[in-house]
Amino acid sequence: MALFKAFINSPVGPKTTHFWGPVSNLGFFIAGVADMKKPPEMLSGNMTGVLCVYSALFMRFAWMVRPRNHMLLASHALNESVQLYQLSRWAKGKG
Amino acid sequence: MATSKLQALWNHPAGPKTIHFWAPTFKWGISIANIADFAKPPEKLSYPQQFAVTATGIIWSRYSMVITPKNWNLFSVNLAMAGTGLYQLSRKIRHDYFNEEETAALKE
Repeated sequence: MALFKAFINSPVGPKTTHFWGPVSNLGFFIAGVADMKKPPEMLSGNMTGVLCVYSALFMRFAWMVRPRNHMLLASHALNESVQLYQLSRWAKGKG
Repeated sequence: MATSKLQALWNHPAGPKTIHFWAPTFKWGISIANIADFAKPPEKLSYPQQFAVTATGIIWSRYSMVITPKNWNLFSVNLAMAGTGLYQLSRKIRHDYFNEEETAALKE
């Protein structure tokens, strides 16, 4: 109970913007997972490539920003993996 | 005079030697990639991805205005994301739901 209260009232908790911003970034990861069943011709090389660089940069940002934002780091780490996978599928589809 | 101002910018704690500069700056790439994809046929657009672009754009636009200090760079890049995402969504929705009459007529 005390742990839960500590989370709710944390300076990077759900009462703050430091929480919901990273949560919204999970949308990219969820979209990536949903698109894993799409055939490679339907994938956008532009967008997937950009998202790979974007999440790599923001993993570093999340680590260096104060307060350090582990949720942001995690959401971008997840996105990085799915986008790299999608990029490999797109590239293989290009032949 | 100008060089010392430039030096101040160069050495700023959120300046071009730091991730605080490059990560938000690169975020423009998402909107640029989306604008490049305006030329893609709507069948190839992804609802989940465009919804994610739009939603994160709207949420972060709001949040960049409530943090201290206000971050206009972050605000504008997320506003652009929301705008391009909404446009792509409208293209795909129009194609999927409002072109049925035309394609039905063609089939007849």
